[in-house]
Amino acid sequence: MVGKHLLLASIGLLFLFPFYWLVSTALKPDTQIFQMPPAWVPNPLMWENYPKALTDIPFFLYALNTLKICTCSVCGTVLASSLVAYSLAKIRWPGRNLVFYSLVATMILPAQVTMIPSFMIFKWLGWIGTMLPLTVPPFLGGAFSIFLLRQFFMTIPNELSDAARIDGCDEFGIYWRIVMPLAKTGIVTVGLFAFIGSWNDFLGPLLYLNDERTYTLSIGLQKFVSQHGAEWGKLMAASSLMAMPIVVLFFFAQRVFVKGIVMTGSKE
Amino acid sequence: MTPTYQQCRGVLPLSLLTGLGFMAMGCGANKGGPTEITYWTGWSGHEFGIQQGLVDQFNRTHPGIHVRLISQFGNSGYQKVRIAFAGDATPDLMSTVWADELADYAQRGVLTPLDDYLARSKRDFDKEYVPALRSSLRVDGKIYALAVTTDTSFIVFNKQIFREVGLDPNRPPTTPDELLRASKACTNTRPDGGLIRYGFRPSDLRTWAHVFGGDWYDPSTKRITANDPHNVEALKWMCAFNSFLDPRRAEAFQATFGNEKTTSGPFFVGKIAMWQTGEWAGEYLKRYGPNVEYGYFPLPAPPGGRPNSSYVNGSVFVIPKASSHKKEAWEFLNWLTQEEPVRIFCSTIGNVPPLVSVGEAPRFKNDPLFRFAVGLSRGKTGFGPPGISMWSTYSSEISRAEEKATIGGEDPKAVLDDLQKRMEKEFAETNEDLGRG
Amino acid sequence: MSRLSHHRSNSAGERRALRNGLLFASPWLIGLTVFGLYPILSSLYYSLCSYDGIREPRWIGLHNYHKMFFEDELFYKALYNTLYMVVLGVPLSILCGLSVALLLNQKVKGIAVYRTIYYLPSVVPVVASSILWLWLLNPDIGLINVGLQHLGIKNPPTWLGDPVWSKPALLMMGIWGVGGGMVIYLAALQNVSETLYEAASLDGAGSMLKFRNVTLPMITPVILFNLITSLIGTFQYFTEAYVMTSGGPQDSTTFYALRLFNSAFQDFHLGYASAMAWVLFILTLVCALVVFKSSLRWVYYDGEVK
Repeated sequence: MVGKHLLLASIGLLFLFPFYWLVSTALKPDTQIFQMPPAWVPNPLMWENYPKALTDIPFFLYALNTLKICTCSVCGTVLASSLVAYSLAKIRWPGRNLVFYSLVATMILPAQVTMIPSFMIFKWLGWIGTMLPLTVPPFLGGAFSIFLLRQFFMTIPNELSDAARIDGCDEFGIYWRIVMPLAKTGIVTVGLFAFIGSWNDFLGPLLYLNDERTYTLSIGLQKFVSQHGAEWGKLMAASSLMAMPIVVLFFFAQRVFVKGIVMTGSKE
Repeated sequence: MTPTYQQCRGVLPLSLLTGLGFMAMGCGANKGGPTEITYWTGWSGHEFGIQQGLVDQFNRTHPGIHVRLISQFGNSGYQKVRIAFAGDATPDLMSTVWADELADYAQRGVLTPLDDYLARSKRDFDKEYVPALRSSLRVDGKIYALAVTTDTSFIVFNKQIFREVGLDPNRPPTTPDELLRASKACTNTRPDGGLIRYGFRPSDLRTWAHVFGGDWYDPSTKRITANDPHNVEALKWMCAFNSFLDPRRAEAFQATFGNEKTTSGPFFVGKIAMWQTGEWAGEYLKRYGPNVEYGYFPLPAPPGGRPNSSYVNGSVFVIPKASSHKKEAWEFLNWLTQEEPVRIFCSTIGNVPPLVSVGEAPRFKNDPLFRFAVGLSRGKTGFGPPGISMWSTYSSEISRAEEKATIGGEDPKAVLDDLQKRMEKEFAETNEDLGRG
Repeated sequence: MSRLSHHRSNSAGERRALRNGLLFASPWLIGLTVFGLYPILSSLYYSLCSYDGIREPRWIGLHNYHKMFFEDELFYKALYNTLYMVVLGVPLSILCGLSVALLLNQKVKGIAVYRTIYYLPSVVPVVASSILWLWLLNPDIGLINVGLQHLGIKNPPTWLGDPVWSKPALLMMGIWGVGGGMVIYLAALQNVSETLYEAASLDGAGSMLKFRNVTLPMITPVILFNLITSLIGTFQYFTEAYVMTSGGPQDSTTFYALRLFNSAFQDFHLGYASAMAWVLFILTLVCALVVFKSSLRWVYYDGEVK
């Protein structure tokens, strides 16, 4: 037991390092940040970088905006992607493989070249300047999530669903009542990634949002970066604050993994 | 239809409602009243605050127009600006365009020429603006942008180090050869070959080629002149530094430099004796290097070269052609580029003013470094990007060529000949695209 | 496995399966039609044009492709750089991700805390971690070289300043990003039924055998997922090079996606960039299909509907 803790902790220190660096830089006076050799512990501790980071930009407004987009993203992605994944994993229909490989193919084309035509579509719809380009597409499923859930669904044996089918349950019922609960860890993972992806998304909000009242945190943070350099302390403070919800979310989400209900209802 | 699909179908209308709700919040109510114009600026942080102050002042004194200032955050706004032009989603006024890109956009017809506006507002562009800007803000003879700042380049040197190695601090280098020798004298290495200090390491071939008398483009013959003999001379000179300064070691040494905006900046801690910089260094020297006894001199030119040169780049102000409020945008731009707002902006952020008259203001006259910089800016040898629309590409290729020669050890002439060939091709293709033959 | 569905293969059943299949897949199909087709077809069209993003595209046929293969001195370099990262980076990330996930799959007190810690580097923004790495990799006083010198290595590499060592340095950086993959492996590991392990124990299997015969096969679907997504992602490797090295030194970190980006947004050559995108597309697709083909042999789906 001690051996395990030792191993976990020693490697863990390595992984903890970047975040420690982030926070310590947030607490350093600007003059110390690029010091060579670097200062391990900030001196003095610039605690004020944190409240300043929260007031220099409308942090809570941006956080709220980001949250709105993330909520749509999570709901949309989980619902839509699981539906599509179900069709690819659990229904035998012609064209299924074609759809699956097309799905993977769409992940391959680099976004830079589709950026302008995509922008044009949103322009024709009149959605530029609103949050719609960010909140609506998740409800049409995301390739990454669909692929992942398909893999998860395909590990769920069919005995239960076959039995339900004989009992007269329709496809949607099987999806909703049997398969989804059994893929809980996959669903949580997809939801987590959807949230994180939306929360950290920079390019999307950059391109589509024009009204500062709708800006998200990722854009808001850029306010600390100017032409002649950055206000590093506040930028790092804001970045670390921005990372906190994800860390908390992750912590609680992965406990679901531990308690995840496995097929025969086994335990911890 | 089986009833269980209602759950599915309920999702779509819900999303539409949410979307409409957000859209309603995003749209402002349509006010009858002052014409609203949007102005995108690339400045953020401190500079943004000053811009906002100026915008507020304008809005107060011009009740018929309301300027909405939106910050587009420097480099990250790059893509957004491109896509805005591509998708016709541009604002009424932007300063998110670099002088480097002006020709790119102007020759593609997405910018509004300002000559008529200037004439109607009784502005005399050539008289008001410093010489370097007169050419860099013009493309194909028309004025496409105005500026509220400009740049100068020169070298700051450490007088204490000069004395220490036997150089006269009152007679800084006046030719490239003198600079080379002074740099060698100031360079100090450890027994194992690692550097403790070096005198000077030139960078930016674009500028040095101009200083040596070369050009990258000849507007009279409309030809690319990448392998102009002066350019080759300049590159050869840059490579000559390798004789006492091993490029690998120099790069490794440079990687240990602190940020020049802090007390651990290389010049402030004595890691370099001479620093190629611009007028903004004045502030830094005061704040981070108060104990350094410094002097400054213009970029030394060889005989036949161009003394007192500066490369002028920076944000320029343009009115996109797609704007439907050009008149109002011009009224604001006209106001913004008058003496008083320019003076406020430049003094606060420490840039040299582009207007000749503003250079007379006490803030600039009383500070010796600034007086020197303003003097440089008034010289006729300042230069900006040539008005060709592939300059962004050309610029980055020049840097690559410079790297190939100075670090990669390739022959300067060969490198520039190769650059010439490739850029000629690029230029021809670009002209074909633009229908310029 | 149910054979019942096979016996119900009347046309009504097949029609219903088709209808259900399409219905469930409709969100993505709608998305593809409305938001996907136009950009994809446009980019294909642009690749055959000279297009600066502003003026109308001008048809030039296969000229972009010709230029790419025969005239662009950076094309092969960029391709090599990216392939380097794919060949070395993808296996590395799979191995590290899986190892870390296995390490964290134990019933140790406070494992939740450990897992969160291992995930932390993934939430640190690229800007911040770039500065950290620039310092760590500093040739003179960075921790890494200081450590190497203590170990007796006299002239450690200058990492991001050396064309030979810049990519290995980036690979090193990538290891810290295993958090994402680790999460997915954990989710899969947690999904492996206990009864299988119990059955194996009853058969007298030790932990090594349990791992080989129960754990590994059961998570192969997710290994496939990570393999494919890692492959696709690494072929598009871009951000770190854009933020930290700008493609240098001496083009050693000019990756394919960076070259593409510069063509599109610096050089105004959107047509050329589109052509590059399609070449990358075909290359990645071929690799992915090879992986999928091989997966028939090593991936086990417990609940596959054939």
